[in-house]
Amino acid sequence: MNKSWLMRSIILLGLIALTVMPTLQANKEKPQIKINDFWIVLAPAVANNTAGYGIIKNDGGQADTLIAIECDNAHVMLHKTEINSGRAQMIHLHNMVIDAHSEVVLEPMSFHLMLMDLNKETFSSETDISLRFKFEKSGVIEVKVPVREPQY
Amino acid sequence: MLKPMLISMLICLSVVNANHVLAQALPILSGVGGAFSAIDADGNAIESTEFSGNVVVLAFGYTNCADICPFTLGYLKRLYAGLSNEEQQRTRIVFVTIDPEYDTPGHLKGFIGHFNKDFIGLSGTQEQIDYIVSLYQAEYKPLSVLDIPTQNIRRVNPKLFTNNQELKDDKASLYSHTVTLYLLDKQGYTRSLEYTGTPVDEFIDKIRGLLNE
Repeated sequence: MNKSWLMRSIILLGLIALTVMPTLQANKEKPQIKINDFWIVLAPAVANNTAGYGIIKNDGGQADTLIAIECDNAHVMLHKTEINSGRAQMIHLHNMVIDAHSEVVLEPMSFHLMLMDLNKETFSSETDISLRFKFEKSGVIEVKVPVREPQY
Repeated sequence: MLKPMLISMLICLSVVNANHVLAQALPILSGVGGAFSAIDADGNAIESTEFSGNVVVLAFGYTNCADICPFTLGYLKRLYAGLSNEEQQRTRIVFVTIDPEYDTPGHLKGFIGHFNKDFIGLSGTQEQIDYIVSLYQAEYKPLSVLDIPTQNIRRVNPKLFTNNQELKDDKASLYSHTVTLYLLDKQGYTRSLEYTGTPVDEFIDKIRGLLNE
């Protein structure tokens, strides 16, 4: 009786493992995107543009591609500052691949969000701004981002 | 009687020697810089010779710049804050716009003043700006917003042009430009080319050296 119960338990556990393991494996291989520590520079009152910085992290085992960034308060683009022979150039990026188990840091003089045509009435240090990051596989991830004075 | 004379001589020699060391460390960079005219942020004509007697840190940029120029001005703000009040009074931080059509004196004043009220914003005619750029062997190149293919990353809030100012704002261009920080001595000679990667303390030492020349 006990032996039969033990056998049944082992078979059951085996079946569960067979069912769950591929799912776990598949999840492990999926991209797992996190939008961390984003903030927007509180621009001078006369400025129409500003920048946003933060970290896009992929904890998953598969790459994902950032294909769009949307904001109701500004026109957002993804740029990279490159400095060659003392001259800074802004490179416009159509998309950005976030490799498996890696992160992309957006920071001054490097990758950054370019927010243009600001709806100035909505930008203040007292209100967070909503940004929607759209990824090829992970879909849309919305985050609330603070606006603050830079601590360069 | 002899002792004070010797001490005075030693002090004089050490000052001369320090200046000599500095002159070697920061030689005059011939062909970079020179006298120019511009319009200051109050709309008044200004000659660069008016900065004589002060150490100058000169940068090029424009106010529609979202990443490089605010970062540069933030760096200059830290640099300036590291000087004593007396040193600040003998130092001029000068920001020359490379987009004078958009960066009118009043606009420039509002932008620069956000970082430090003491900073000097210079605009002018396109010819004046181009001349200053050429004097400093700097470069700039327009990168029109309209030329940027946005594809998937694009504006989501369509803009209605209700007045000419908004239309002008929307036509504002982006530029690539020189990011060098030019350190000028009290005679207006360029003595060093720096950038925002220079440790602030190191830059301050150079400014102090030139102030004490």
